[in-house]
Amino acid sequence: MAVLIRVSKPDVVFAEHLMRTKSEINTDSIKSILKTNKKQIKLGLAMCAHCSLCAESCFLYVTKGNDPEYMPSYKFINSIGRLYRKKGKVDKQALEEIRDLVFEKCVLCTRCYCPFGIDIPSLITLGRSVCRSQGVFREYDK
Amino acid sequence: MTTFFTILSHTVLLDFIRGPLAWISFIIFGLGLIVQTFRLVNLTQKKETRHFAADNAFVPEPLSMRERFSRRLAFLKITVIGNNACMVMFSILFHVCLVATPIFLLGHNVLLDASFGFSFISFSEKTSDFMTLVVLMCGLVFFLRRLLLPRVRIISTTYDFILLFVAMTPFLTGFLAHHPALNYHMMITVHILSGELMLVMIPFSKFFHMVFFFVSRFMIINEYSMGHPKRSWRF
Repeated sequence: MAVLIRVSKPDVVFAEHLMRTKSEINTDSIKSILKTNKKQIKLGLAMCAHCSLCAESCFLYVTKGNDPEYMPSYKFINSIGRLYRKKGKVDKQALEEIRDLVFEKCVLCTRCYCPFGIDIPSLITLGRSVCRSQGVFREYDK
Repeated sequence: MTTFFTILSHTVLLDFIRGPLAWISFIIFGLGLIVQTFRLVNLTQKKETRHFAADNAFVPEPLSMRERFSRRLAFLKITVIGNNACMVMFSILFHVCLVATPIFLLGHNVLLDASFGFSFISFSEKTSDFMTLVVLMCGLVFFLRRLLLPRVRIISTTYDFILLFVAMTPFLTGFLAHHPALNYHMMITVHILSGELMLVMIPFSKFFHMVFFFVSRFMIINEYSMGHPKRSWRF
């Protein structure tokens, strides 16, 4: 508690509190986010033809030596797509892997281009929302 | 095996797959397409268009034709066409030939004429053969790309390979049936069955991108939309 009082920024206090208390995953809150946005997630996943033409539209993909893990489609399929396929039943480690994709490997610049018109940034945003709801997010000061 | 298919082709089965089964698949295809398109359009809603005051509107200097052309070209260079020119070319060729070949094929039109008394215009047999080969070649390119390129392999699933196989089989068997290298009856049976399977799958699988593409491009307000769309997604 003393640690909490000493930290001045309220959001950091809240973040640390979340990280300490939410070592367990609240599947219900994940399920609720997935349920609210089910149609959008389902359509995005169903229409992605896995063509990889979105790759070059990501500046991180280009600057990180064409690493396929930076490809927009890979990021949304393995973040919100993974959560949707598992119906929200994921463990902390899986959420941390998803965190790496949606926070570390994406800056949400919204410049990704899909030939079919799938709104990839909004799907990655949903991945971020799920992570944030479980106290898993980017640690800027690490 | 060959004898089996020869016998089979003269029996009830062939009559069934080119009669009732063909009707069933066309009905599922048609109704499925209508229902799924309706469901997709139902996910969109009309959006208020923003009006800007005419006084504040930025009117750019008129450009010469050459300048306009060079700007367009420079823009294309940073789009998917500039980045993946080869893949885009294969993709356009593949899709045009995939849709046009079965519709304007002489054999199909003869069947249409015999059944309903009407037919579309037909390409010459040489043209149709060439277009079929283009589809098959592009399919092979997509297959190898999926298999060999790390960025495509990492997101590929068995389902993607199955879809590619489903899309290629009617063309391969149709070509082989027309140029009988193997047993004609076996080929034509597999050709009809695979064609029907593909028709049934179109509204209910990733093949539905044939509708989704046009909805997302021409109906949804987006940076990359075409025309003057007035709707947005309603999720």
